[in-house]
Amino acid sequence: MTKAGDWKSYQRVLLPPVKNLHHLNIYRDQGGYEALRRVLSEKSPQDVIGEMKRSGLRGRGGAGFPTGLKWSFMPPVDPDKPRYLCCNADESEPGTFKDRQLMEYNPHLLFEGILIACYAMSMRACYLYVRGEYASWITLMEQELSKAYEAKLVGENMMGTQQHMDIIIHKGAGAYICGEETSLMESLEGKRAYPRIKPPFPAQSGIWGAPTTINNVETLACAPLIMERGGGWFAGIGAEKNPGPLLYGISGHVNRPGVYEYPTGMLITDLLEIAGGMRGGKKLKALVPGGASVPVLRADMIDGVTMDIESLKESGSMLGTAGMLFLDEDTDMVAFLRRVARFYHHESCGQCTPCREGTGWMENLITRIDDGEGNLRDLDLLLDLCDQMEGRTVCALADAAAWPVRNTINRFRDDFERRCRPSSWAVNA
Amino acid sequence: MADFIRNPVVRLPDPDPEPHFSSDELNFTSDEKDRISAWVRQYPTSDGAVMWTLWLAQEKFGFLPPEVLQLVATELGLPYAQVYGVATFYTQYYKEKKGAFVLDVCTCFSCQFTGGYDILAYLEEKLKVKRGHTSPCGRFTVQEAECLGACGSAPMMQVNNGPYAHHLTPEKIDTLIQAMETGQPLPFVSITLPQDEDEMGDNRRSDADAIESYQTPPQSKRTQ
Repeated sequence: MTKAGDWKSYQRVLLPPVKNLHHLNIYRDQGGYEALRRVLSEKSPQDVIGEMKRSGLRGRGGAGFPTGLKWSFMPPVDPDKPRYLCCNADESEPGTFKDRQLMEYNPHLLFEGILIACYAMSMRACYLYVRGEYASWITLMEQELSKAYEAKLVGENMMGTQQHMDIIIHKGAGAYICGEETSLMESLEGKRAYPRIKPPFPAQSGIWGAPTTINNVETLACAPLIMERGGGWFAGIGAEKNPGPLLYGISGHVNRPGVYEYPTGMLITDLLEIAGGMRGGKKLKALVPGGASVPVLRADMIDGVTMDIESLKESGSMLGTAGMLFLDEDTDMVAFLRRVARFYHHESCGQCTPCREGTGWMENLITRIDDGEGNLRDLDLLLDLCDQMEGRTVCALADAAAWPVRNTINRFRDDFERRCRPSSWAVNA
Repeated sequence: MADFIRNPVVRLPDPDPEPHFSSDELNFTSDEKDRISAWVRQYPTSDGAVMWTLWLAQEKFGFLPPEVLQLVATELGLPYAQVYGVATFYTQYYKEKKGAFVLDVCTCFSCQFTGGYDILAYLEEKLKVKRGHTSPCGRFTVQEAECLGACGSAPMMQVNNGPYAHHLTPEKIDTLIQAMETGQPLPFVSITLPQDEDEMGDNRRSDADAIESYQTPPQSKRTQ
């Protein structure tokens, strides 16, 4: 028995098999917005946060911070000071596409989750920050949101109570860095999205200096399920220390790529089988388990590894966003790393020197190796560069660039060495 | 004068460029002003509305030269420098004129290893244009894009900052280009989840009509 338990009979809850679930009436027929109604009439905000803590839900945006704990960090209510919720739908991590599917197929679950979170933290407004590339999905959500407003599920005197909450959709314009919570706040304030130094944390001083909580789309979508079925039910799904349903975005050289919903703690080998196995019957070479920022795993490292925070940490990687990229035996790891480095060079916001310059040097060096002009000492220079970048910047983008570079070189050293020329300089000249 | 002043290492933007739009064209209609003030009301200060307003301006003018940024700054009561800073920070705001159709081909790693670069090369060859440039006929701009969040249906591209075209093949591109040349808008295509396919046969969203309003044509109707 794996950590995921009896996953073969798992019933999907985030993306349930219901046709046209995005329509408000169909969503309500399925019992939608009932959890919110019960929360508003029966539960105090403290009860809601307590239930979230009991559920053991950890953020699905990549960092895996316990959600209930995050919600409890909000300072006591000050009637003169606004407080905001931000929903981070700036899903730009390469290999990650789960939030888009959730916004497409089950937008009302997200809205309901947002409203529950607003109630739990006594907030009156939520900014839903969607990346600019998702223009189509913004339009689709705006339609559904306006229906929810008409049905008095959002807005003034919502659901016949004295509450007033608003959901405001904000459209980004194509910057990976906006997925970082402090730069998302800067972007919302209409500035260049430069990350801020923490502390002060968003719970003390967030957008426009007001206390703010930022959660991922999938995290907030779990809230109505937890309210409806209880924190104990949620905690019983999947891996013990990282429970709940999880959207696995599977891509790369597999037969059936796409978003799959299963409990956390699934065996990687099971997931590969679910996704139809490797394309063309080829062998697996490498796996990126959670978006571009997490260390790559070699095929021989995945035996018995499950998709949860603890197990992946032990195996030398991270869960990240659970956007899994499977690569087959023909994959050129140098070309892979060149593209990853290019991504970070393009997306570095330019605020901190180690990242702005470092990502550029990374790309240059890997390009040189890929073009067959690299020397062996370039590999050590790259590893040294990683050490110089990591932990020396305001946000974690430099770290996120250093981890895949260091681990891909270390774990596929042969591939890189084969492409390099031996150094022409004597070591002890 | 020192040599580096005459030949700067980093070329600075022209401080006084030739405007693309005359002062008669540079205004928002009352309907657009209503939309802008509705956005402003959603934020504690008018700063928050700058991104939405820049999107509107790009939809109207096609791209964002300095005089359009000045118009946005005046409309929102913000310093020009701030609007300029925002417009130059984000990749989806166009600082120069683009073709009538901007094709953003995703080449980030999921697409890279499923043929994203082949698609890009095919487009370059077909439209006789280098990546990052506009075709000689002025209709198509082909660009390399970072991850667009559709890794499960790679290789893919985005057209005019709007709908996605998934599972691209050379044949599919031929059909798409032909449709674009005849002026048909690209429809919104929903991708069925693999589990939905197993459990329900099919499940897609096809509210295509609704999508058009947010397509941002990079070139306004007037200049086409």
